[in-house]
Amino acid sequence: MLSMSSAAPSDSANDLSPFVYALNGAKDAFGLPAVTICFSLVGVGGLARDIGYPMLAGMLSSALMWAGPAQVLLFGSIATGTALPVAAIAVLFSSLRFLPMTIAILPLINDPRRPVWHLLLAAHLVAITNWVEGMRRLPDMPKTIRFPYFCGFGIVVLLCGTVATGVGYFLVGALPAIFAAALLFTTPMFFSVNLAGSARRWIDALPIVLAAVFTPLATFLVGTDYDLVAAGLIGGTLAYGVDRLLRRRAAL
Amino acid sequence: MSGWIASLEYATGGLWPYLVVVIFGFLPTEVWRVIGVFAGKGLNENSEIFHWVRFVATGLVTAVVAKLLLSPQGALAMIPLWGRLGAIAIGVGVMLATKRSIALGLIAGELALLGAGFLAAA
Repeated sequence: MLSMSSAAPSDSANDLSPFVYALNGAKDAFGLPAVTICFSLVGVGGLARDIGYPMLAGMLSSALMWAGPAQVLLFGSIATGTALPVAAIAVLFSSLRFLPMTIAILPLINDPRRPVWHLLLAAHLVAITNWVEGMRRLPDMPKTIRFPYFCGFGIVVLLCGTVATGVGYFLVGALPAIFAAALLFTTPMFFSVNLAGSARRWIDALPIVLAAVFTPLATFLVGTDYDLVAAGLIGGTLAYGVDRLLRRRAAL
Repeated sequence: MSGWIASLEYATGGLWPYLVVVIFGFLPTEVWRVIGVFAGKGLNENSEIFHWVRFVATGLVTAVVAKLLLSPQGALAMIPLWGRLGAIAIGVGVMLATKRSIALGLIAGELALLGAGFLAAA
């Protein structure tokens, strides 16, 4: 999978057109990442149909919002008759994770010569699948090829997800419930094996374990509107505190 | 506000669903990515705040996934909690036992979930 890890060193990487690296990324995206996103966005197409929206509006939500949980939240709110401004605020809170996710992946892609629109394009592609794969694959590559690789990879995953949303529009109602359940299970299952598999040190796994344990606690304590933000912030900050202590001790 | 929205819905007719996706879906999602680009540009990769942001990002993604598992929507709710958590454990176990094959872990977890679903329905 990591076909770029053995690529030429960064100074000679400029000789090849960025397009070649974008194609490499696109090639690597076909496979598990594309399958995962298809499975997880098929259900969104079904939701769009349930509320009487046209298929293209469902597909537009995948291409533009590019955030499965937020899309479920938006269409689910409409289904239950929630006022649209209230639904938008819920979407705003549930999408807060894109701020730290973008900040965290940007230094891997950025170099001083990159125009801002390159960064905005890369940021738009940030969602769970692309982010997890990017954080895993990009550090092993020469810096100059990371942007075209990430865009090639991310755009293929986004297009597959958009097409899957359209397919789901017609498919989901026809599917037995147990297979619909298996489709919905793909995102948490893929994320769990991917992150558990790429955690190189135990400290990498610590924010995952802490946030997972805090989520039901937070749902109980602060309710379903703010539980995600609370669990992620507290779990992540505690793990950061432990990491900082360890780094201090190692420096002494 | 709701009267204003209702008249906009009436005025835009068939275009309304697309406007809803852009105004109430795309804008509140994309704003964080755009802020992230401008907030992150000046940030040093080795600074303490960057370390913190990276941990919090992982925490927030995990919380979303944990919620999908613990308070599932739609069809996934028919699988009992032990089935959902057990399938995650089996998937991760198979991944670790197969030289970290993500594909095998994912397939094993999905099969375990289907098995739990059939058991629970029986």
